[in-house]
Amino acid sequence: MKLETLSKETVVQTLKSQGLRLKIGGFTVCLSSSIPDVAAHLASLYGAFELVDEADFIDFYTSLESPSLLRRYFRPQVTFSFDGYFPFKPLPYDQASAMFEWGLNWCIASQSHQYLIAHAAVVELNGQAFIFPGVPGSGKSTLCAALVCSSWRLLSDEMTLLSLADGLVYPVPRPISLKNRSIDVIRNFYPEAVFGKVVNDTSKGTVGHLRPPDKSVGFGSDPAQPAKLIFPKYEQGSETSLTQLTKGRALLKLAENSFNYNVLGLHGFNSLADLVDCCDCYEFKYSNLDEAIALFTGMAQ
Amino acid sequence: MLSADLIAFPKGGIVSCRFWENDCVVYQELFGQTHLIEGIGAQVFKLVSEAAITYDDLLANLQSNFELENNADMGLILDNLILEYQKLGLLAVTDNDSA
Repeated sequence: MKLETLSKETVVQTLKSQGLRLKIGGFTVCLSSSIPDVAAHLASLYGAFELVDEADFIDFYTSLESPSLLRRYFRPQVTFSFDGYFPFKPLPYDQASAMFEWGLNWCIASQSHQYLIAHAAVVELNGQAFIFPGVPGSGKSTLCAALVCSSWRLLSDEMTLLSLADGLVYPVPRPISLKNRSIDVIRNFYPEAVFGKVVNDTSKGTVGHLRPPDKSVGFGSDPAQPAKLIFPKYEQGSETSLTQLTKGRALLKLAENSFNYNVLGLHGFNSLADLVDCCDCYEFKYSNLDEAIALFTGMAQ
Repeated sequence: MLSADLIAFPKGGIVSCRFWENDCVVYQELFGQTHLIEGIGAQVFKLVSEAAITYDDLLANLQSNFELENNADMGLILDNLILEYQKLGLLAVTDNDSA
């Protein structure tokens, strides 16, 4: 049963009581919250996600609440907890839904060491996964959103889960986090795009989350074969350019963009080396999304 | 460096290498450090990964595979590389007689 089959009232009540249990890629998440924005965020962006039965194992028990009664009314704040642990300082109350996304990123990145986890968007077309590692501001999420709005499958806009067991990339399709100008860029590029509440003045600037395509969510358990490793860089006014990158340099750059490479030791090294072995590696500079999409779609044929 | 000195990986299997066209990446498990090695250094690791090699054989191989500009001294370059890789725990040098 999908979340969109529940009424808004049921979503609100379930979040307030036993918590809403969702299957997100290969993970199961239980979220409790009495914050109306969180219910609205889930209802608008997580409609296509499957609900998890009461009896099923939950990977991450999370909650979003006000830290105290005082902070519910005076300069209201929100805290994120995971299994009763509070990994972050409270944030302003209107950032609750964004905090859920950031908190869940943290849960996955800090707990899922069966994967080499890279800070990278990953999308798939014709059975080929294209991996776009990048620091914030590199334009990877914007590129990812544009590709996903052009029929590519979303595996993740934020973290590439590379299995240590089989070398495949496992999906965790979730709302795509866009920041500042990228929000309007994607709205103009794809007017049908559904966004959750856009929040201003976060530590990352203005943040908006784009609903992932239902089809991508439906394929949330199917891994993909890595094919291309592309380090994007958005530069206003730049020509589209794709430059071959040596595999050694690609490995080091990807290690720098990994959340748990140091934790995994030799397994992490072998995993990255196997990945660059089976991928063509490039650096990519762009400013025109249409050209970027045409280029990558051609490469995936 | 003595001509009969034997250049090899440190004992214990703590160094892993992966090779591509002109570069290699070396992982030192004890320190958890990853190194990108290119050019002459990559050739050094390629040879050492096949088998421990004497300094003289290593130098001869490099001299026949690389042309240096301005009559640079390959022996000096190799000495510096080996010293640096020893410091990083990537290579070990032993007296061939005691090896």
